[in-house]
Amino acid sequence: MDASAQVTELSAADHACLTFGEAEELFDLTAAFVRDGLVAGLKVVWVSDAAPAQAIAELGNRGIAVRRAMEAGQMAAAGCEGRLLSGQEFRAEAAVGWLSGELASSREQGFPGLRVAVDMSWALRPVAGIEELPRFEEGIAAASTGSTASVLCQYDRERFDPVTLASVAGFHTRSVAAATYHADALLRICRQYAPPGIRLAGELDFQAAEPLARALSEAVRLDGDVTVNMTTLAFIDARCTMMVADAVRTIASAERPVTLRCSPEIGKGFVRLGLDGLRGIRLVTADDR
Amino acid sequence: MTGEKERPASLPGAAAPPVSLPFAQEFNAGSLYALRSAVGAHAAAAGLGRHRVYDVTTAAHELAANAVRHGAGHGSLRLWAQGAYLCCAVADDGPAENGDGPAAPGGRARATDGAAWPVVHGHGLWIVGEIADDVRVDRGHAGTIITARFAIHPDGDGR
Repeated sequence: MDASAQVTELSAADHACLTFGEAEELFDLTAAFVRDGLVAGLKVVWVSDAAPAQAIAELGNRGIAVRRAMEAGQMAAAGCEGRLLSGQEFRAEAAVGWLSGELASSREQGFPGLRVAVDMSWALRPVAGIEELPRFEEGIAAASTGSTASVLCQYDRERFDPVTLASVAGFHTRSVAAATYHADALLRICRQYAPPGIRLAGELDFQAAEPLARALSEAVRLDGDVTVNMTTLAFIDARCTMMVADAVRTIASAERPVTLRCSPEIGKGFVRLGLDGLRGIRLVTADDR
Repeated sequence: MTGEKERPASLPGAAAPPVSLPFAQEFNAGSLYALRSAVGAHAAAAGLGRHRVYDVTTAAHELAANAVRHGAGHGSLRLWAQGAYLCCAVADDGPAENGDGPAAPGGRARATDGAAWPVVHGHGLWIVGEIADDVRVDRGHAGTIITARFAIHPDGDGR
């Protein structure tokens, strides 16, 4: 398998293995994969473990015009039943056959290519035939090689055991995960892909100033609008509030707006520093508790 | 943000022993998360609203972080309710930085020796001065004690 790639670098014939640690990361990376596919005019299918309505809502929340794409037949969100599973039975041959059928169908519909994201969490449930999982991945690799399809297999790294992950890793051309600047039990600082920016989750204080600085310096270099997602940040101290505020002031302009999303308590800290109402800065406080 | 807040002529409890809800904890750089967690729980138990609990937690963290970064590297925090106030005192018994001790909230607070303390806009101790109802600084040979008080408004956040 190649060195790890960003989800935004995937292209036709890629069979990528995405590992995620939390639902937020899965939805973010999937939204970027879907967004880039739709922008390129490709047919996009997401086989989600969540109910299709929730999957669609999660994409919509991240700025993807998913309903319009669905109405135009460019996008489909579906469950695994009837595609990867038949009842509680899994057969690698049938699942690969479904993917090949989707590829042929997208060609007939005139799309220049196909993007398929598959949440593999169904494989954690008691499913007959699960031992065929490596054969399925091998079949996907064969079907996507040299084709106009790119497939993103999504594995929860906290729930799949390392042996299973290792057994399927070799069949993928790329490994994908969110760029992470810091991750431990208390704090996660990572890149956000849709909408572009960074995400801060947990408790952030001066002791994490260095990874925060790296994340902010990368956010400064991002093209277009930037979001600092702090919706699951429970605490931020004065030093880090100041660092975020300084970076946001540097980035923001009328042409390049910056959105800060956080709780009302954390929002007060940015208001105190005079960020509210500045040109190009949008402070969105949401009470999600 | 409201205007200038004056320090009361006397601040009962700043130097006196706690009379209710006493909580005391030692801290260093590695235990700031646990300190915040405990302060938040005690502030909520004292009857503060959610936003004020966050403010108290912020003040406790910034005072402790000040001791960790600019003082001895460790210290102790006390939290107690007295009358209509929740009091949060952080003691730093370390050597004074540059001979002046750790920075303390200025502008509204004055050290008991009358000296003004340097405060930088946006920095931790400036924040404490902004969010606490009043702040008192006691300096002595044994170190520095900074006490921040928060009015308890069970039904609201006070601001």
